[in-house]
Amino acid sequence: MIKVDNIYKRFGVKTVLNGVSFDVRSGETLVIIGSSGVGKSILLKNIIGLVKSDSGFIEVGGVNITNCSLEELHEARKKIGYVFQESAIFDSLNIFENVAFGLKNLTFLSKNEIKQRTKQCIAMVGLENVERLNPSELSGGMKKRVGIARAIAYQPEYMLYDEPTTGLDPIMSDVINDLIINLKKYLHVTSVVVTHDMNSAYKIADRIMMLYSGNIIFNGTPDEVRNTKNKYVKQFVEVSSQ
Amino acid sequence: MKIVIRKILKFERLAEKISYTSVGAVFLSLEGLGKAFEMTKEAIENIFKGIISTKDAITQMVEVGWKSLPIILLTSFFMGMILSLQVGLATSNMFNEPVYVGTITGFAMAIELGPVLTAILITGRVGSAITAEIGTMKVTEQLDALYTLGTDPVKYLAVPRFLSCFFMLPILTVISNIVGIYGGMILSTNTWAISSNAFWAEALGFMTICTFLHGFIKSFFFALIIVIVACHKGFNTKGGAEGVGKATTSSVMTSIVFILIADYFLTALLVTLGIK
Repeated sequence: MIKVDNIYKRFGVKTVLNGVSFDVRSGETLVIIGSSGVGKSILLKNIIGLVKSDSGFIEVGGVNITNCSLEELHEARKKIGYVFQESAIFDSLNIFENVAFGLKNLTFLSKNEIKQRTKQCIAMVGLENVERLNPSELSGGMKKRVGIARAIAYQPEYMLYDEPTTGLDPIMSDVINDLIINLKKYLHVTSVVVTHDMNSAYKIADRIMMLYSGNIIFNGTPDEVRNTKNKYVKQFVEVSSQ
Repeated sequence: MKIVIRKILKFERLAEKISYTSVGAVFLSLEGLGKAFEMTKEAIENIFKGIISTKDAITQMVEVGWKSLPIILLTSFFMGMILSLQVGLATSNMFNEPVYVGTITGFAMAIELGPVLTAILITGRVGSAITAEIGTMKVTEQLDALYTLGTDPVKYLAVPRFLSCFFMLPILTVISNIVGIYGGMILSTNTWAISSNAFWAEALGFMTICTFLHGFIKSFFFALIIVIVACHKGFNTKGGAEGVGKATTSSVMTSIVFILIADYFLTALLVTLGIK
């Protein structure tokens, strides 16, 4: 379970998160929508402890992320996979080494097991015969999929996706959506997904939450989003669906 | 009267602004120093605990040492020749014949030019590359990705670079000294008709082991300056491509300034300790 309680985050004079609170139940997929620059990515980075909140409390799988030692944070991160908005794959490593990186550092698998698992994850995101290529030889969409493969490789209990389908073609977006659904279905992964893609949100979400001016202004099921009377949510959904 | 008051107020606002800026600059400098110290401490702790990736350390040693060798050989050889030429010219003007060419070339290369020239070249070739690489990783969230994958960026990136600079720069300095003196000898034999035996006798005649140690010891400190500044600037890069460019420029300039300042204090200290 992920528990976020009364999180505040300021950058200079700008308040990005203004007392945000929500829970994500085990095995649930929560989609966070909202305009650009509203603080969705910062919220995800707070959950994994990459950004420290000014005040408030975040708990992931029983570990208090906001107030724990580096060792505890390191242990907690072993259970969390993070898909970066700009993929953030390592330039100095080839695709196989990128996907295997977490397996080498976070698990005790043998070389053969790492090799098998890495190949399997690369295939799961629809990539083949790219293991020996360097990141510079891949397109933006392919890099994104490598980022997803790297995050799911060590089979984390929690997945945080920062715009996983942005920059992908509709067919590949659907492959990623199915992957998120399957991770939930077969491995009971708890996911938080930040996206602007409403088709994706409707398909994968158990719950959709909208962030606006540092606050949550909507939290409901996909059906409740479709029928909402909240003018901001309505406007966002209509514009996004166009 | 109103104009005078307005001018006073304007001056006060300006003074306030300058004071805020100065306080801010001092605060940022202190904060930067603190961060650099923390990073260095963590890197050294990892090295002493033996938490080192041998493969990465060797890769970096090849990058810093082996790949820098051609430029070190070339510049040191020419530096030795320039010294010999200048010393020969100056002493010919004063004494009507070139004297002390070997001695001055040898001393200058071993105690000053060898270590400083090598350090400045390594700053330009390696320090800039370290900052640009780590800085790019920072702005493209690759450092964040390392954290999420259970890896400390200082351990993964800084430790191999610390080791490679610390061990490779002194070796390159020794090579630079030898090649520089050799360059001086080649010029002396061809331009000043000084035999190679006479040149080496002059060059080594007044030198002791301490003369070589003087430059050698300094090179360890220069290596630390280069790698600490380069890693620190990389880890604290902000903004996109522009930020990486600024961080790299700042890294090179800061290293060179610190190397020259440190050179003075180290020279004074080593002379006081009798290592000269």
